Amino acid sequence: MTLNPVAWCAWALAALAAAFIERNPYLQIVLLMVIVNVWLPYRGRERNSYWKLGALLAIAPVVFSFALSRFGHHTLFRLPDLPIIGGPWTLEALAFGASTGVALLLVVAVFGVLQATVRSADLISLLPRPLYRAGTVFALAVAFAPQSIAALRSISEARRLRGRRSGWRAAPALLVPLLLTSLERALQYGESLDARGYGSRRRSRYRIPSWRPADHLVVAASTLSLVLVMLFPVTGYSPYEEIVPALPTVTNFGAILLLVLPAVLCATRRTRHATDLV
Amino acid sequence: MPLISFDGVTYHYPGSESPGLCNVTTEVEPGQVILVRGPSGSGKSTLLRCLNGLVPHSTGGRFAGRVLVCGLDTRDHPPRVLGARVGFVFQHPDAQFVLEDVEAELAFGLENQGLPRPLMRKRIEEVIDQVGISALRRRRIETLSGGERQRVAIAATLAMHPQAIALDEPTSQLDPQAAEDVLQVIGRLVAELGMTTLIAEHRVERVAPMVDRVWTLERGALADQEPRTALTEGGARPPVVDLALRAGWLPLPLGLREARSHAGRLPRTSAPVSVPAADGPIVISTDGVSKAYGQRQAVTGTSISLRGGEVTVLMGRNGCGKTTLLKLLARIIRPDSGRVFGETPVAYIPQDADTLLFASTVAEELLGVDPDVAGSFAPWLDRYPRDLSTGQRQQLAIAVAAGRAVLLLLDEPTRGLDPSVKQALTSFLQRRAADGCTVLVATHDVEWAARTASRVLLMADGEIYADGPPRVALSESLVFSTQINKLLGQGWLLPEEVPV
Repeated sequence: MTLNPVAWCAWALAALAAAFIERNPYLQIVLLMVIVNVWLPYRGRERNSYWKLGALLAIAPVVFSFALSRFGHHTLFRLPDLPIIGGPWTLEALAFGASTGVALLLVVAVFGVLQATVRSADLISLLPRPLYRAGTVFALAVAFAPQSIAALRSISEARRLRGRRSGWRAAPALLVPLLLTSLERALQYGESLDARGYGSRRRSRYRIPSWRPADHLVVAASTLSLVLVMLFPVTGYSPYEEIVPALPTVTNFGAILLLVLPAVLCATRRTRHATDLV
Repeated sequence: MPLISFDGVTYHYPGSESPGLCNVTTEVEPGQVILVRGPSGSGKSTLLRCLNGLVPHSTGGRFAGRVLVCGLDTRDHPPRVLGARVGFVFQHPDAQFVLEDVEAELAFGLENQGLPRPLMRKRIEEVIDQVGISALRRRRIETLSGGERQRVAIAATLAMHPQAIALDEPTSQLDPQAAEDVLQVIGRLVAELGMTTLIAEHRVERVAPMVDRVWTLERGALADQEPRTALTEGGARPPVVDLALRAGWLPLPLGLREARSHAGRLPRTSAPVSVPAADGPIVISTDGVSKAYGQRQAVTGTSISLRGGEVTVLMGRNGCGKTTLLKLLARIIRPDSGRVFGETPVAYIPQDADTLLFASTVAEELLGVDPDVAGSFAPWLDRYPRDLSTGQRQQLAIAVAAGRAVLLLLDEPTRGLDPSVKQALTSFLQRRAADGCTVLVATHDVEWAARTASRVLLMADGEIYADGPPRVALSESLVFSTQINKLLGQGWLLPEEVPV
């Protein structure tokens, strides 16, 4: 099934709003299941990096909250009076960390879906003409980041091979070669853009994504979900006050479940979009 | 009327006293194929970059004389205008990709030209057929092999319907089979479309049979000659031409096809016996090492032993696991299973040797290096390391990294090197081996491997599938075989060893 990038952007906006606003654990779990179901038809062989990043981000607040917060009535265990980590480790701190962690995981997962379903070229083509150049530069900059990380890794590796320090204390020494390598690559990109006529005249567009009834449906469902989430927010979850979260209303659940529409449409038709790129 | 003309072009890079190009005057007729050759730093890339105005518009510097391309003076027209007339394929295809999938890349240049959508579609369909990449059109660039990327880069350039195409060492990053695939595409463009083509290439045996003229550059000065004259006079030339000159074959064959009719007249003798393998102590060995990156298995259950005094060459297609095996031996990465035995000082020189150079002068880089080794860099001691030519940087990186290491691991050290620098590298490695060092080199350069190695390992899909002296390993392979072996077979590898 082909969805227009605009429909995906509307879906992502609504999903992000739900992830940011709804901190109720029941709704978070439903939203996570919805996002996973939407992502599944588009998953690629090596596209799990977003989930790994999300998992890492999710674990960090759990560990920090559990280890550092001493508040709460339900003590799970108690450490002797050690600095920072000594004292009671509570269920409330664990629940608070988990709620924050899941919120972070949800945000990363939404971007993972967007990455798997929409090409950067399509996103750039959505921009109005005056913003096109800025969009291309931004796409290049985004593509540049992993290359810079790879360059940093190889420079650090090379220093280690020559018996120099390679940890964070060596960062200043890594900066100059990294800057030079990045500048050389940026110049190559610049030459390539020039050689391919970038900026020579008013651009035309090769791909103009089609707009179908399914796109109408997804945009409508996402808009409705966004409105419901904004108008009927569930009472915020504060485990330190009440460990058992309040049960959301049917409207709250309905607002989240509307976001599963792309998965339902996929289940009824053949999946075809950016994931056809293997 | 010539398509391209150079009229007294002299060019100095910013801050450079010696010219990158020196009074170049020549012309290219439509449909001609030009081989541009010369040592590293002789001005090949500079010359090609003049065609689309990157020199001087992008590089700056002092430019004198005039270059006319399709009637346009490159001084008056920027690269983004000239780019539609002369397509440019860079040495590193990754340097020219902007978007993430093949079809979007093919369309990028056309969108820049503001072409209507139906015409873009037609051009893209045409170029996909011409270059034979229909299976790749929906692929993400990151999933393509080196050869596939270079073919996509050529297709993206051709889609703009340039009147000429300039290729700057398009096969230097590729394994022999991928290079062959790319050259077949170029050959088809020349034969079927009559595309005016200028190609800079160190390994001239790959393109010599298809060229009309040879431009030889030496310190920026250009000699424009007919191929047989140019290749007879010297410089980089195909092994088969070396053999033909020794045997006095006339007319001089430029490729295997022409040489075959002469080869039957050579005396029938058997090839020299392989030199016995080094019997030094085992310096390092692996026992069933495996390494995977995510779901991709890079090295699978490999067991090898390397002895002192050996120069071993490791060959295989792009992405077959050569670099990973080298890193496992250098202990930069740990195996998922299996073990590496042997504790010895090791030097690993990565593919991008520049990463080893981070001081502000050559002298600073050489601090602590053996004075005998450092002495050979005396003329450049005050220079900034990254301002040296590719070959010089490679030598410097080896000098600073090798130090007193007993095990030398080099990853693709011959990329972009001219024959004289490659010969110097051969001598250096063989000297170190004679001193008892163990050398393992990953390379795609079959001709260099045949001259340098005492042992050859062939690798595919993470496994070593052939191991033996060059005369055996390189003569039993269709892909990893020297040009002389393709001509004569029977274990002959190099032109100078064939009796005439």
